[in-house]
Amino acid sequence: MDFTFTPEQQMLTDSLSRLLGQHYAFDQRRKIVASPEGRSTRVWNELRDMGLLALPLPESLGGLGGSIVDVVAIGELMGRHIVVEPWLTSAAVAAAVVAATDPARAEALLDGSALAALAHEEGAGTADPATIATRIDAAGRLTGEKALVIAGDAASVFIVSAKGADGAPALYLVDGAAEGLTRQSFTTIDGRRAAHLRFASVAVTPVAGDPAAVLREVLATALIGFSAEAVGAMGALLETTATYASTRKQFGVPIASFQVIAHRLADMKLAYVKARSLLLHTAALAEAGVASARELSLLKAQVGRLGRQLGESAVQIHGGVGMTDELSVGHYLKRILFVDALLGGADYHLQRIGAGV
Amino acid sequence: MDIAFSAELEAFRREVAAFLDTAPTPEIREAGAKTTSVFAPFEQVMAWQKILHAKGWAAPGWPKEYGGTGWSVEQRYIFAEEYWARDLPPLLPNGLGMVGPLLMELGTEEQKAKYLPGILSGEDYWTQGYSEPGAGSDLASLSCSAVADGDDYVINGSKIWTTLAHKANRMFMLVRTSREGKKQQGITFLLLDRVDYPGMEIRPIVGLDGVPEQCEVFFTNVRVPQSGRVGAENDGWTVAKALLKHERGGSAQSPAMYRKLDQLRAAAAATASPNGGTFAADPVFQRDLGELEAEIAAYAAFEKMVLTGHPIGRDPAMPSMNKVMSSELAQRVSVLMTRVAGLNGLPLQLGALEVDSGIAPLGSMHDLVAMPYYLNSRATTIYAGTNEVQRDLIARTLPVG
Repeated sequence: MDFTFTPEQQMLTDSLSRLLGQHYAFDQRRKIVASPEGRSTRVWNELRDMGLLALPLPESLGGLGGSIVDVVAIGELMGRHIVVEPWLTSAAVAAAVVAATDPARAEALLDGSALAALAHEEGAGTADPATIATRIDAAGRLTGEKALVIAGDAASVFIVSAKGADGAPALYLVDGAAEGLTRQSFTTIDGRRAAHLRFASVAVTPVAGDPAAVLREVLATALIGFSAEAVGAMGALLETTATYASTRKQFGVPIASFQVIAHRLADMKLAYVKARSLLLHTAALAEAGVASARELSLLKAQVGRLGRQLGESAVQIHGGVGMTDELSVGHYLKRILFVDALLGGADYHLQRIGAGV
Repeated sequence: MDIAFSAELEAFRREVAAFLDTAPTPEIREAGAKTTSVFAPFEQVMAWQKILHAKGWAAPGWPKEYGGTGWSVEQRYIFAEEYWARDLPPLLPNGLGMVGPLLMELGTEEQKAKYLPGILSGEDYWTQGYSEPGAGSDLASLSCSAVADGDDYVINGSKIWTTLAHKANRMFMLVRTSREGKKQQGITFLLLDRVDYPGMEIRPIVGLDGVPEQCEVFFTNVRVPQSGRVGAENDGWTVAKALLKHERGGSAQSPAMYRKLDQLRAAAAATASPNGGTFAADPVFQRDLGELEAEIAAYAAFEKMVLTGHPIGRDPAMPSMNKVMSSELAQRVSVLMTRVAGLNGLPLQLGALEVDSGIAPLGSMHDLVAMPYYLNSRATTIYAGTNEVQRDLIARTLPVG
């Protein structure tokens, strides 16, 4: 057994860490979030130059054949810097499916000039694909609504989960300019640009490969990648909060010297270590191709539950300033809340695990 | 990363399974099923250790030169999984997990030759003399004294929470040999060859579960040889800290928790919930059971990080984090066990709990063990350094501005 990153993965995270330190410090991030596009072309091009847009694609499609462990290593750093660039959903989740289905679209995704998006969530949440309401009708056209599509405002191509004419959930490729597709764009609580999508009898292409397997793979990658973002945010919050508690003085002493604060910090560290251990363990299982739906539920449940506990403690220990938009603390909490709500929240997964599903 | 088990390991698993299926006697199996503490029923577990020793498997974690198995991390994990899947009684930790590894690290060659074979074979059981009535979390304030006299020490004072001292034949203990300087500096670590030296008196203490598992040991002018000292005089605190490292960590505990979870799930499927239907079908219970499983899974992942040497496991707070997680999980398991047992956990069944008593339990085996396990598990967050002390230690490892 070995749960460490390879030397190559370590080099990659070192370079990405340097890059984000340079271009994604908290003040720089604020400017990016507030910009009209809500994304940084400069950072996206830097990610491309580092090979991160090509990394998740198989070599046969012009990529570098990266693994889920690469997604985790990168995802943790994206969370640590609360990055709003849609690397996970566009490059790591959607691009390979798009390129396999329509190879002509690969080049624009690889050179960074186009974005792809995953359109999956609906209504009150779509933890279980069996609840998908979006449908392909008898004429082979797509009708329904998708919510919280990251980069849905700008993506030129979507992969959309829907029930086929046979009633089985599958993925379909939809062109961003397709007739009958309308977008309602917004910014999410954690600073990302996203959109709700409405499809009215839209032309689609079924994605290449076994539909059930591709859907499962796409959702597993998204779940593990989002979990990595949340865990990265947890790590940053733990460090920030511990540092703050050791410098902030009240009653003449650092507040970390109060045992109630010290124990709250200890619980934050326990939460982080548990969540990160489970993340790395699940990544190893997924890389070996043996991560079950149950194991994915365990990860998602713990990341949501422990992340929330840690994030709420971070705000509490920061006191009044923790409530302000000027400090990073609340932004990390919102990244964690965002991840918890996607693909089924903690309570959903916990009940499911307990029911033995 | 790499997680897949090889074909050789699967063959190893079958070898372990075949032995564990056949080697234990019915009494040993019964003792395993009736284990409601870290400390399994004494006579049966010591008999089981002798059987494992004859096979060469008493100490999976020991180096081969001292009679250990020389197994890899993966083999040890597989052994633990197969062991727990059969509800076998866990070997007592004091000798194999604590004083044995300590002697390998800090004992003299003479001490190793004298004590390690008995620890390994199960001939000897060592009780731990650390706490005192006035020294619990603040262990360094201990006052039980040893005064050098010729080749001996003369001990006066008392020790408490000396687990199974009334069954032990040996004891390791901390004594005060100096009151100069810092309180940590005047402590010495001693090995006692006997627990029936003149002037020693052992008083068993009945616990919440009704079982005399703990003891208090009184010393009145007890004369013991100085050759039993580990490390230098007044350097016992360093020795105790080295031992602590072995006390918290080493063997995999998550397979035992998964086994308890399976048993809980089975009991929940067989028991009516006050909300109607079975507990297993009750969404409230499902949510709580799911949370328990998620916590066990996170702990199991953490444990694998520790066993494989991942940086998470090399954190200076690892022993404290391990202690907090595992102890609080044991309690959580016990809480759900008693919830499922409900009213059937209320009869006091000390007779039926005894191995080979011939007394049939009222209700199921789950009903029999749930409440004693719950009550005994209140101790997990108190012993080996309370969880409050552990959280202090964890907080100290965090970055400061």
